[in-house]
Amino acid sequence: MTATHPSPDVQQYPAHFEPPHGSTWRTFFGPGLVRGAWMTVAGFLIGMLLVLALRWWWGWEPLWNTEVILVVGGMVLAPIGFLAGIGSFDYWLHYISGRPTRPEDHSGHGAKTWKDYFRVNTDHKVIGIQYLVTTFAFFTIGGLMAMFFRAELAQPGLQFVDSQTFNGLVSVHATLMIFLFIIPAFAGLANFAVPLMLGAPDMAFPRLNALSFWLLPIAGLMFVASFLAPGGAFGAGWTGYAPLAEGQPLGQTFFNMGVQWAGASSIMTALNFLVTIITMRAPGMTFWRMPLLVWANFTTSLLVVLATPFIAGSQFFVMFDRVMHTSFFVPEGGGYVLGYQHIFWFYSHPAVYIMMLPGFGIVSEVISSMSRKPIFGYRLMALSLLGILVLGFSVWAHHMFVAGMADWLRVPMMITTLLIAIPTGIKVFSWIATLWRGRIHLTTPMLFALGFVTMFVIGGLSGIYLGSVPIDIAASDTYFIVAHIHYVLFGGSVFTIYAGVYYWFPKMTGRMYSETLGKWHFWMTFLSFNATFFPMHYVGLRGMPRRVFDYDEAFGNMNLFISIASFVLGASFVLFVYNVITSWQRGPVAEANPWRARTLEWQVSSPPPIFNFDEIPQVVGGPYEYGVPGARHAILTPTKEAQKEAEEVHA
Amino acid sequence: MRKGIVQLVAIGVVIGVAVALVAVLFQWLPESASEEFDRIQDIYWFATWMSVVIFAVVAAVVVYSVWKWRVPPDDDAEGPPIHGHTGLEIAWTAVPAILVIALGIVSAVVLSRNAEEKEGALEVRALGQQFAWTFEYPELGDFETGELVLPVGRQAQFTMESVDVIHSFWVPNLGQKMDAVPGIETEIFVTPKRTGEFAVVCTELCGLGHATMRAKARVVTPAEFDQWIEEQRT
Amino acid sequence: MTAHAEPLHGHEDHHGPPPANQSSRVDARTLGMLLFIGSEIMLFGSFFAAYFFVRVVNPGAPDQWPPEPYHFPVFVAGVNTAILVTSSFTMHWALQCIKRGERAGFLAGMVLTFLMGLAFLLTQVVEYLNVGFNTGDGAFASVFFGLTGLHGAHVFVGLSLLLMVIIRGFRGHFSPEHHHGVELPGIYWHFVDVMWIVVYATVYLL
Ligand code: HEA
Ligand code: HEA
Ligand code: CUA
Ligand SMILES: [Cu+2]
Repeated sequence: MTATHPSPDVQQYPAHFEPPHGSTWRTFFGPGLVRGAWMTVAGFLIGMLLVLALRWWWGWEPLWNTEVILVVGGMVLAPIGFLAGIGSFDYWLHYISGRPTRPEDHSGHGAKTWKDYFRVNTDHKVIGIQYLVTTFAFFTIGGLMAMFFRAELAQPGLQFVDSQTFNGLVSVHATLMIFLFIIPAFAGLANFAVPLMLGAPDMAFPRLNALSFWLLPIAGLMFVASFLAPGGAFGAGWTGYAPLAEGQPLGQTFFNMGVQWAGASSIMTALNFLVTIITMRAPGMTFWRMPLLVWANFTTSLLVVLATPFIAGSQFFVMFDRVMHTSFFVPEGGGYVLGYQHIFWFYSHPAVYIMMLPGFGIVSEVISSMSRKPIFGYRLMALSLLGILVLGFSVWAHHMFVAGMADWLRVPMMITTLLIAIPTGIKVFSWIATLWRGRIHLTTPMLFALGFVTMFVIGGLSGIYLGSVPIDIAASDTYFIVAHIHYVLFGGSVFTIYAGVYYWFPKMTGRMYSETLGKWHFWMTFLSFNATFFPMHYVGLRGMPRRVFDYDEAFGNMNLFISIASFVLGASFVLFVYNVITSWQRGPVAEANPWRARTLEWQVSSPPPIFNFDEIPQVVGGPYEYGVPGARHAILTPTKEAQKEAEEVHA
Repeated sequence: MRKGIVQLVAIGVVIGVAVALVAVLFQWLPESASEEFDRIQDIYWFATWMSVVIFAVVAAVVVYSVWKWRVPPDDDAEGPPIHGHTGLEIAWTAVPAILVIALGIVSAVVLSRNAEEKEGALEVRALGQQFAWTFEYPELGDFETGELVLPVGRQAQFTMESVDVIHSFWVPNLGQKMDAVPGIETEIFVTPKRTGEFAVVCTELCGLGHATMRAKARVVTPAEFDQWIEEQRT
Repeated sequence: MTAHAEPLHGHEDHHGPPPANQSSRVDARTLGMLLFIGSEIMLFGSFFAAYFFVRVVNPGAPDQWPPEPYHFPVFVAGVNTAILVTSSFTMHWALQCIKRGERAGFLAGMVLTFLMGLAFLLTQVVEYLNVGFNTGDGAFASVFFGLTGLHGAHVFVGLSLLLMVIIRGFRGHFSPEHHHGVELPGIYWHFVDVMWIVVYATVYLL
């Protein structure tokens, strides 16, 4: 099943099993994008014929039901066809059918040319980069949608789009940002960093890892493609509340199914992280010596594995109600409308911590190594993550304070919600205590980390307002919520993603980014971010509901200001993209350890050798022992590559 | 070190005052027109003062540290190996705990007071439908209006219903909000305390016309209210 | 083990990763399967949640369950339960056999397990056809088909895994030393079985 745990009950692969690369036969029938393309079409056709055959057999009228055919053919079998086509399943199919497989086959490892990023690659470092590039592409799309509806919102009344399109833009914006940007971008960073930090050669299940990545573009394209569906994109918000979602045009099914693909991807990745962290730590790497990024991904993965099935369930029910005429949430049929919200939020509240805890981990790495100090209160930092994990499962109904749910649930949910401030506070205070008397290097990742600390406190505090039921009653479903969302998700998660990308950029690409451009990017983002989202607290409390294309004249000027600021925020992203692209092509060559950090990924060359370590390192101490005389995190023989490089430099 | 603490506190005070000014100079909340909203505003201010202080503390430490301990890129030294401090860690666990529990208690008290039915409450039914509100006064006659009229000083008990999807009833100046959910009856209490004209908005996304699902609310004197009822009946 | 099984690092020029350190006594694949089952339990959890919302929390829930004039085929499903529970035992037997190297018993056990699973699934289909109501007949039908259907899908997946074991079993890929490929599908099959008991108790008996 895996490269690192070869199962002996498989046979050796006979030599010359596959035809050579480059032949026409191989192009069409070997794993790759070409086979992926035609097998997608084949998958769709099979699905369509299946539906038609079954409907004909049952005698259901009309024979042609677009929604059913789209769901079965377009959203289930076509993606499976694609995955099979690019070769995600080749190994397993050989294994299952008892044909020869090659457990030690590393042809899926490493990337020599850019083309290697477009195939099923089993190398966690390649997959990490695949994730990041893909997620930033979807961030651009989701961001441009925000630019579009901000333009619409600059004035009251409808200017550019009709109201279904407006709702579609808002819904797809949020859906892409959450499912195709924040969650997988963290998965990408962790994919790159976690095995290295653990001293492992790869993830536990490299092929599963590749599969999880390839599920992602499927989900993303499904969300974006909903704009092409008759009736327009899904427009019930990213929360897709029933019964509104059940009366939506066809586009809603794209949401129902897209979430399944994105969710499956997240669950598989999380499983992989958990198994990797539990079974593949280097000798001496006890749990209490793991870097906090690893801890953060450990807790996040537990959240993902346990919570994600609930959103899958909620979307299945909506889809059944739509396609199979069930009545899960249809009161006339005996369904219970609020059930949707309970099930949805039982995932989606933990999801907000899925979208934040990995960021906490990144920031811990950055702040410690840029302040040249051990992280303050390491154990409590790890334990507070677990505290958030546990509390996170007990607060879902704070999204339903005004939803008409049982009254007795409100106060307990309020208390647990407010208690989350305690473990989170421990983290915030420990970060700033880490700064205290440090030797602070104000590099770009550090700027973003500090920007995160301050902005996340604002977002967290607005969360505390909302946690108090009476205030939430006044503020719920207004722009105050929109402000909260973006302070925690942009000022929180996105800032940490930026910090992480800048921090590991030299490790991933072997080149240094431009520090000047990075700093410009930070300040422009920081200022325009506040100008965009801070005033939203105001318009929200004053009476502007969320998810509206039209609003009271009184909010006109404020919204114009917000829209203009949001365009500056959008433009700031151009600096980032420019910096990344040019530095990747021709930035100065990066050293192995430009930050002089202690964690393991910095002890190998930049970029790391194909199998990370020539010999598994021996861990002998904590990961952040800055300033402790003679302390070491690990002993490792330098890899051949690193040695070669060092010799060249000293020659 | 003493001097350092003084500087830190000074920065904290400056940030705190600046943030406090933002909090008071702008009129963040709509002017309250109900007893319930008055109580909500009290908690709002509790939370705001708490937040101002917390933000000032965090921001002050960040700004002070960067100002004081920033080093040039080529600096190779490492900071002092401080791993923790039990006293501090207990403090910053306990203080937020006390604060949030206090906030929780105040909120719970306000919540239950805002949900107390008083004698002689006026029964109002608010019906949400794509995309308009309809109001009924079942005790006062068999009529429907698109305009909400309430007598000042008398508690109104709203019962919300919906016939299609979820809507949410909100009058910003009255503070209270509640979803109208198909298949379930929900309720809130509002006691208007001053007369005036206000907006009713739907705050739950309910489809194409959600943005325009607005209505007018008027709080009038009891005499005017009786007169209005008379008019409606005929 | 068959004749063509060779030592792993056969060729000389092999350069791969250093073998990973095994930092836990649990086997990675077993752990992965257990975590996956944890996730599956939560998926069933969401379906059970929907069930209880419709039947218990909902103020408009019918007094009688299922509402007049419908009935659930409690007896047929009971027989089906017996079949599935038995199949768990044969699965266990098969695993024990291969651990002791009794190939015939192993293969017989696997085939029996598979056939019982198949019988279960077919009975389920027949039950659906004759149950007397359809997905559109109200929320009780929604949760009925929801839970049993979700479980049926799991039986299907389980059967696919069993089929894989059977194919590889006949090709002689398992031995007393190497039976991981039997153990993991086995764990999954037991999970599917236990889950059915919970589903049966909730949907048919409660
Ligand atoms: C990264 C994502 C993220 C994070 C981390 C959070 C964190 C929190 N959120 Fe937020 N939330 C969202 C994303 C997030 N949220 C989204 C997307 C929505 C809207 C969904 C939708 O409807 O579309 C939402 C909505 C939302 C609501 C529902 C509002 C409504 O619809 O009516 C509530 C209500 O309680 C809430 C509360 C909180 C709280 C209490 C926290 C806490 O975890 C915050 C804790 C942090 C701090 C408090 C700051 C640091 C602490 C200190 C410095 C210590 C001292 C502090 C005190 C003593 C208070 N959030
Ligand atoms: C991680 C999550 C995330 C991120 C990063 C963002 C980013 C942004 N969001 Fe988003 N948003 C959400 C999550 C997020 N949002 C969620 C969950 C909702 C709730 C949805 C719902 O109600 O269902 C929401 C809703 C939401 C609303 C409320 C809509 C409504 O209720 O009607 C608004 C309104 O202004 C908004 C604005 C923005 C803006 C301006 C950005 C900007 O930061 C985007 C900036 C980025 C780019 C623009 C990238 C591309 C830029 C270029 C290619 C450069 C060139 C472009 C120009 C120069 C113009 N968002
Ligand atoms: Cu009615 Cu929004
Ligand atoms: Cu939440």
